[in-house]
Amino acid sequence: MKSIKTILTASAIALTSMTFGAYANSNSLDQLLQEVKSNRVSEAKLNKEREAEFQAARDQKQALLNKAKKELEAAQARQKQLQQTFADNEKRITEKTNELDDAKGTLGEMFGVVRQAAGDTVGRIATSIISAQPAYSDRTELLGRLAEAKELPKLNELEELWFALQTEMTESSKVVKFEAPVIGLDGSESMQTVTRVGSFNLLADDHYLKFNSESNQIEPLGRQPESHMVSSVADFNGTDSGYEGLYIDPSRGAILDIFKQKATMMERYHQGGLPGYVITVVLLIGMLISLERFVTLTIVGAKIKSQLKNLSNPSDKNPLGRILSVYHSNKSVDTETLELKLDEGILRETPSIERGVNVIKILAAIAPLLGLLGTVTGMIGTFQSITLFGTGDPKIMAGDISMALVTTAQGLIAALPLIFLHSITAAKSKSIVHVLEEQSAGIVAAHAEQERA
Amino acid sequence: MLYLIELWETVRGFISTGGDVLWIVFGVLAVMWILMIERYWYMFMEFPKHKKAIIQRWDSREDTTSWYAHRVREAWISEASELLNARILLIKTLVAVCPLIGLFGTVTGMISVFEVMAVQGTGNPRLMASGISMATIPTMAGMVAALSGVFFSSRIETRVRMEVEKLVDSLPHH
Repeated sequence: MKSIKTILTASAIALTSMTFGAYANSNSLDQLLQEVKSNRVSEAKLNKEREAEFQAARDQKQALLNKAKKELEAAQARQKQLQQTFADNEKRITEKTNELDDAKGTLGEMFGVVRQAAGDTVGRIATSIISAQPAYSDRTELLGRLAEAKELPKLNELEELWFALQTEMTESSKVVKFEAPVIGLDGSESMQTVTRVGSFNLLADDHYLKFNSESNQIEPLGRQPESHMVSSVADFNGTDSGYEGLYIDPSRGAILDIFKQKATMMERYHQGGLPGYVITVVLLIGMLISLERFVTLTIVGAKIKSQLKNLSNPSDKNPLGRILSVYHSNKSVDTETLELKLDEGILRETPSIERGVNVIKILAAIAPLLGLLGTVTGMIGTFQSITLFGTGDPKIMAGDISMALVTTAQGLIAALPLIFLHSITAAKSKSIVHVLEEQSAGIVAAHAEQERA
Repeated sequence: MLYLIELWETVRGFISTGGDVLWIVFGVLAVMWILMIERYWYMFMEFPKHKKAIIQRWDSREDTTSWYAHRVREAWISEASELLNARILLIKTLVAVCPLIGLFGTVTGMISVFEVMAVQGTGNPRLMASGISMATIPTMAGMVAALSGVFFSSRIETRVRMEVEKLVDSLPHH
């Protein structure tokens, strides 16, 4: 209620003030008119002034434009002139280059030769074992620069190339001893007296060394070549004067590297695996048997020979003696009985002489068969790895194939001596058996005849 | 002289391509032939004298029909045949061993081929070729050595048997 009252009062006040306002305006309109009229005059005046001002500014800009145009013209003229100069200079450069080329003449060709020679020499010197010697360890730097240079080499650089080549040549004719650090296989470094033979081999006291050109280090070989080659190193280092033979590697290390990869006899032997070991056992047994047979048969043969010279006193220590004693104890019997008794005696003796000989023969036959067994197991392994990995990499198959081949070789190696031993022991036992079987009766008969006569 | 040097060089080249096994083949071949020549020499030069002596001894015997005479004759024949047969077994063994040695060369050659393959791969057949020639040449040499021995050793054997038979025939029971 109270707010409605307030609004009503406020609107009543506003109405009274409006009527009052309308009354005051009718007075000031005339005044406004008056004012507009007077203002129009002053405005025209002002416009005139501004017009004059713009006019003045336009003139000024025109002058500026003219000036700029003039500047452009000057710049264009200068550009033309510079272009001309540039073209002239270009022409001159071409002329001068031609002149330079003419002046260089054959020197240009020499540049190419120098670069090529320096490149070759860098390659050779970096890998040469002469660089292993501390005195010659940093020879490649200048030559490397020379090989990559784009300008004519200087006189002293040319001389350096010449010296480097001649140093290499001279040093390759010498056998030199020097102290140098050697990196062992376990990474340890030690100072050693190293002997360099020409540009071919590096030797320590009693083995070969190699020069690793990538790390600039002297290293021992992972595996030395065969012992008769290595033993020549110690002999060579031991001599102070005169001449001594030495195995050198003319390929500057490549052959020694191949030796490193070569399997030793012992490794080869173990490649044979289980069949290989069985073959070894067979060979050993065969050899032992034949040794025993050989010794026994030789002794028996010698005893029989000495018994042959002394027929009247038969000894019980040898087969012939035992057969003779059969005769001696049966002197009185008739020939038929005697023959029967003799045959009995011979029959008793032969088995102990022929014993073991056939075993050697069987072992000699078994050895290659075992080798064949190893071959077959090796081939089975090969085909298994083929099923797993395919035939792409022969190196995977090589292990089993080498087992196959090594066992074959081992079988043959075992069989060959066993065959010989068998033939020797068989010949020996056969000759003794012949003496007993075919000759003993004759010996008895001849002896009896002698006694009777 | 120059011809001989050339010949020696050829032999050396042959052996170096064939490998060390060839030396064994040559050794066995040499021993085999020395033994065979010795056998021939014995049969033609020595045995006739021996045979003559035996026949003479037999002919000079008064008693050639008794049991004693028979045994003595057998003993003499056995002795003679043993002298003739000496080392024949060794010769036969050497002949039989030759192809085995050749086979041994084959296997060692193949081992070196596979060694090259294991290290270098199969890319370079030239590297393998030396192993292959080491495998094939000893086989061939072993075969040739065996062939040369087979013929002559069997001839010697037949001849020995004939000689024994002849000796038996020339010792008659009177």
